[in-house]
Amino acid sequence: MWHDAHTIEGVARVVGVDPDGGAWLEPEQTTSCGHCASAEACGGKGIGTIAGRLAARRFHIDGGPRLHVGDRVVVGVEDRMLLKGALAAYALPLLVGFLAGGVAQELVASDAVTMASMAIGLGAGLVAARLLARRMARAGGLAPRFVRLAAADECLPRGVAQ
Amino acid sequence: MMVGAALVNNVILARFLGLCSFMGVTTRIDTAAGMGLATTFVITVSSMADWAVQRWLLDAYGLGFLRTVTFILVIASAVQFTEMTVKKVSPALFQMLGIYLPLITTNCAVLGVALLLVEGRMGFIGATLFAFASSLGYSLVMVIFAGLRERLALAQVPRLFAGPPIGFIVASLLAMAFMGFSGISTN
Repeated sequence: MWHDAHTIEGVARVVGVDPDGGAWLEPEQTTSCGHCASAEACGGKGIGTIAGRLAARRFHIDGGPRLHVGDRVVVGVEDRMLLKGALAAYALPLLVGFLAGGVAQELVASDAVTMASMAIGLGAGLVAARLLARRMARAGGLAPRFVRLAAADECLPRGVAQ
Repeated sequence: MMVGAALVNNVILARFLGLCSFMGVTTRIDTAAGMGLATTFVITVSSMADWAVQRWLLDAYGLGFLRTVTFILVIASAVQFTEMTVKKVSPALFQMLGIYLPLITTNCAVLGVALLLVEGRMGFIGATLFAFASSLGYSLVMVIFAGLRERLALAQVPRLFAGPPIGFIVASLLAMAFMGFSGISTN
C-alpha cells in the first residue's frame, strides 16, 4: 500500500481487470454538471456526455491487491508531480509562446506577425512539454497508484482533494 | 499595466470573478496551483483568439452586438483545444490535470478578462500581456487562499463558523489586504 501526507487522492471504480493483475479504472463522477434540475435542457451536454468524459479519462494501474470489476478504490498521485505536470503542460508552452511573440514584436512590430509567432511558439512549447512529460512518465511519477480500497460511503471532494 | 491587472484590479478580489473555483478548488495548495496554471493557459490563449476575432471579424463587419456570444464560443473552443492538446501531449498528464478543464469552461473570469481587454482597446501584445497578468493574479490569490485554508483546517474554528463561513471571512480579509496595492498602478 502506498500513502503519505503528500498524496492527492481520488476515488475510482474498476471497470476491467487484466489477467496479469493490472486493472482499468474510471474516476468517479467529478463534476456536478448534468445533475442539476436543468440537466435535460442544458446545452453543455452537447460538448460531451458525462459517461463519455469519464471513459476518456479511463486509466490503468499495476500493483496492489487483486481487484474485481465494480470495486471502488482510492488512487493517488504525488502532489509534487501534479505541480510539475501542470508546469510542463501549461507554463512551458506559454513561456515559449511569449518568447517567440516578444522577439517578433521587437523585430517586425506587426500584430499579425506577433500573433503568428506566438502561435508557433505555443506549438513548439507543446512539443517540448510532450518530451518533458515523456521523461516524467518514464520515471513513473505521473501514473496514479493504488492507495486502498474505498469505504462504502467514501467520497473525496472533486475527486482530487482530501 | 501588468501590476495593475494582477494586483490592484485583481480578477478575484477586486472584480469578483471566478469565485466558484476560488471557493471550490482551494482545499490544497497543489490543486489550487494546478487549477491556476490551467486557467492561466486558457485565459491567455482564449484572449489571443478573442482579440483576433474582435479586430478582424466583429469590428470589421460591425458585429459588436455578437461579442458576448462569440467570446463564449471561442472560450469553449479554447478549453476543448487545451483538453485535446494535453491529452495528445501526455495521456498521463491528462489523467492528472484533465479534471480542471471542464471547470474552466464555466469560469466567468475567462469571459470577464476577454471583455475587459476589448474595452481597453489594446494592441495584440498589450492585450495578451494584460490577460496573462490578470490570470497570474488569479493564480496568486488561489494559491494564497489555499495556503490559508490548509492552515484553517488545522485550527480550532467555532462550530458556527466552520466550513464556508470562515472561508468567506478570510476571503474578505484577503480582499482588504489587496486593497493595500491601490495606488501602485492606475490602470
